[in-house]
Amino acid sequence: MSARHPLYRSLLRLYPKDFRTVYGEDLLQHFGDLVTHMGAPAAWARTGIDFVVTVPRYQLETIMTERDSDRALYITLTVFTAGGALSFLAGFGPGIVLLVAAILVAIAQRGTLARSIRTPDASRRRRRLTIAAALAVICAASMVSYARAISRPHVSGTSLILHNAIGVPALIGAIVYLIAGLFTPKAPAAGPGTVSRVL
Amino acid sequence: MAGPDPESFLPLPQAQFHVLVALTEGDKHGYAIMQAVERSSNGVVRMGPATLYGTLKRLVDHGLADELPGRPAPGDDQRRRYYRLSGLGRQVCAAEADRLAGLVRMTRRNLRPRMT
Repeated sequence: MSARHPLYRSLLRLYPKDFRTVYGEDLLQHFGDLVTHMGAPAAWARTGIDFVVTVPRYQLETIMTERDSDRALYITLTVFTAGGALSFLAGFGPGIVLLVAAILVAIAQRGTLARSIRTPDASRRRRRLTIAAALAVICAASMVSYARAISRPHVSGTSLILHNAIGVPALIGAIVYLIAGLFTPKAPAAGPGTVSRVL
Repeated sequence: MAGPDPESFLPLPQAQFHVLVALTEGDKHGYAIMQAVERSSNGVVRMGPATLYGTLKRLVDHGLADELPGRPAPGDDQRRRYYRLSGLGRQVCAAEADRLAGLVRMTRRNLRPRMT
């Protein structure tokens, strides 16, 4: 991309990657043309409104596509379950609602979950297992830190809550991604004469 | 194999229809399409860059417009991407124009002062 209009170029990063990759250069050139023909204030006025409207819309459209909706579903389940568990551990009773919500979402989307998990895709399987491993490392680090904290004679309640706030979601996320990753079949190797599946 | 039914695209979103109408004038790049849309709507429709390219993406994805591999004429800007109305896009544009024309006829008939 050209070095002109660095602010607009930076803002373009908020668009979904696919859209940005294909049309980023065109958007930048279009903005440059607007500045040339209308002046910077008018160009920014038009582009600013357009930007505020299109960024959430295009991001939402990307999330709603089949491939990304799987990821959104996993993240939703992790956040709901972790939030519910954390609230429960912290003694906040109504937090149980989040756990119930996670179960209801999982039941309502069971078809999507099953299809997503059973889709043979080596890269998807690898990515899920990598995320699970990363979350497990975060969880382990949090647990070690937690064990050290409680071994001290004086430990603040805030410190313990902070440890749980990191450790519990990481643990639940690791379990969710580990299950999804382990049950994702490996894609069969494309041999001669085999048409590989293009997503 | 029969292609998609042009009627299945109707009603066409306003932005898509305006872009298709702009492309009926000939092959254009993005900025020229935006200018044509403003001109044809007497300045009422002003598309921002992302709205325009999002609309063009949809039209290309649905087969209503084609992105040209080269430039239409030697003097054209080599840095820009040019777009052309596809055969399906022409049919859809005509079908939408007919639909809107019918709507206009009905509106005018309903609003005409009645003789009592």
